[in-house]
Amino acid sequence: MSYSTKDIENLVQPTRYHRNVYTDPEIFDLEMERIWARSWIYIGHESQVPEPGSYMTMNYGKMPVVMVRDKNNDVHVLHNRCGHKGTKVVDTPCGKISGFRCCYHGWTYRLDGKLLGVPHLKGYEGTGFDKDDPQYSMQKLARYDSYRGFVFATMDASAPDLKTWMGGAADVMDNLCDRAPEGEVEAAGGVLRYEHDCNWKPFLENLNDAMHPMIVHRSVVDAANEYMSTLPEDSPHRDEAEILPPFGQSYEYMEDMGITGFKYGHHYNGGKTSIHADYSVDPEYEAAMIKAYGKERMQEILSFNTHNTLYYPSLTIKSAVQNIRVVRPISYNKTIIETFSFRLKGAPDSMLQRTILYSRLINSNGSMVGPDDQTVYFRIQEGLKSTASDWIEMHRNFGRDEVLDDRTVGMGTSDLDVRTQYSAWKEYMTAAGP
Amino acid sequence: MSTVVTSNEVIRDIEQLLYQEASLLDRPDLDRWIELYTEDGTYWMPAIEDQEDPLNHISLFYDDRVMMEVRRRNFVHPRAASKDYKVRSSHIISNIQVTEMDEKTGDCTVTSNFHCLMYYRDKQTPYAGKYTHELVRDGDSYKIRHKRVDLINCDAVLNTIIIYI
Repeated sequence: MSYSTKDIENLVQPTRYHRNVYTDPEIFDLEMERIWARSWIYIGHESQVPEPGSYMTMNYGKMPVVMVRDKNNDVHVLHNRCGHKGTKVVDTPCGKISGFRCCYHGWTYRLDGKLLGVPHLKGYEGTGFDKDDPQYSMQKLARYDSYRGFVFATMDASAPDLKTWMGGAADVMDNLCDRAPEGEVEAAGGVLRYEHDCNWKPFLENLNDAMHPMIVHRSVVDAANEYMSTLPEDSPHRDEAEILPPFGQSYEYMEDMGITGFKYGHHYNGGKTSIHADYSVDPEYEAAMIKAYGKERMQEILSFNTHNTLYYPSLTIKSAVQNIRVVRPISYNKTIIETFSFRLKGAPDSMLQRTILYSRLINSNGSMVGPDDQTVYFRIQEGLKSTASDWIEMHRNFGRDEVLDDRTVGMGTSDLDVRTQYSAWKEYMTAAGP
Repeated sequence: MSTVVTSNEVIRDIEQLLYQEASLLDRPDLDRWIELYTEDGTYWMPAIEDQEDPLNHISLFYDDRVMMEVRRRNFVHPRAASKDYKVRSSHIISNIQVTEMDEKTGDCTVTSNFHCLMYYRDKQTPYAGKYTHELVRDGDSYKIRHKRVDLINCDAVLNTIIIYI
């Protein structure tokens, strides 16, 4: 079918949404045009292109793009497409170059994408081709900007500026960076790329679904508690013993975490507390933080403890853990989730090591947590092939969320996160094109 | 790394241990698999080529004995959705080379190539790469102090790896 604006509006209702948003390839294509080309999409972190000529490639929606640092130290996000025949110009995950050179006919480009050289140019004389016409350069994305080193881009020239778009959810990005004694983070320790057999949305909707951990992650919580309780009391401290068991926290605990939603689909779970709140603090880190901020400010920073924070639709961060996950949709039932870890500048190595441990323990392809989530997403994808109902419900705590000026707050177990996302989904999907 | 010349008998003992480990993973039987490892044994699957460090860089797996014990219990837990499916695999090990040998203790480092086909959730997935086993003498046989699994596509986009390879 071909969807009219009215049809799309009808797919999302106050307490339910239609299964086609997960299962219809046509909806997926519309989402790529209307959400993934209009919203600010996470590209990468400036520390991943540390020097002039450093680049990193990724997909923006379905399109290949490249983040690159030019000779003036400005970071650009360019379409990874030669202005000549359309060849993908760089095809390695990252590297360092003095300029771009297409592998096909040797067209060369400056680091900001401007076309420099076309071999045997005289063949173009009198043809109407103009080497200096910007259309033959590697094109910049309509807009790109960074917030505390995190680079986003949008194809929509009329989008609100990045900071406005982030709204109150920027507090968590601030918190992530403020947790560094030097106030900055840098990507460190590599990336995990995990193929998920599902649409991109079940992953996002699960991030702050506080009703699932005690069910989906029961097995690893039981296994960890059962074995670790048999270890002698004087056994060395293990971060795993702090990271895994909180996934089994009670419904009451999850309710108390609270959830906060914003315009454009952003939200975070926690704030006062989260399942990361009881991690022990390395004394060396504490000393570095007190030296940098003073005790009172340090306590303020460390007590703002969130679970997941989503910058809809492409980036989810954990400020208390210092890792992020990036969503790269492939098709209506295939999504790649990338996990990156961050170093808190000025913090001891133990902090990065805990972040790496967390990423491996929770988000790795070989972990005992991520694969159970992935199985659920896959089974949602399978179950929704059924015509028993066209609808997926999102009633929990409906009507009980508190609407404030710039945000909506509710109990940690509320479906507020899902309603927040579908409200943004509907707005993007039905807005007039740019 | 050059191959250390050792007696046929020693090579035979080492092969037997590698084959025994492979057949326990084929089933998989983690209860008996774990017994092949020393108390300070570790299992590591790096996420990049030539990875030097499991602590400051992400890995696909890095379990010590405690986490092996947790994983063993998790694997058979009745409420783990990802374990609702049969897991069967077939490991083939070849190109076995002893690269280091302590003549006094008999402890050695052994590298080998492996091909593993794994059947999981209606899909068959090929894994291939290199094993590095650090073995310690244990009477007539060996125990594994460290096993490193370098997948040839360790840095690719991968799906779930449901169990040790």
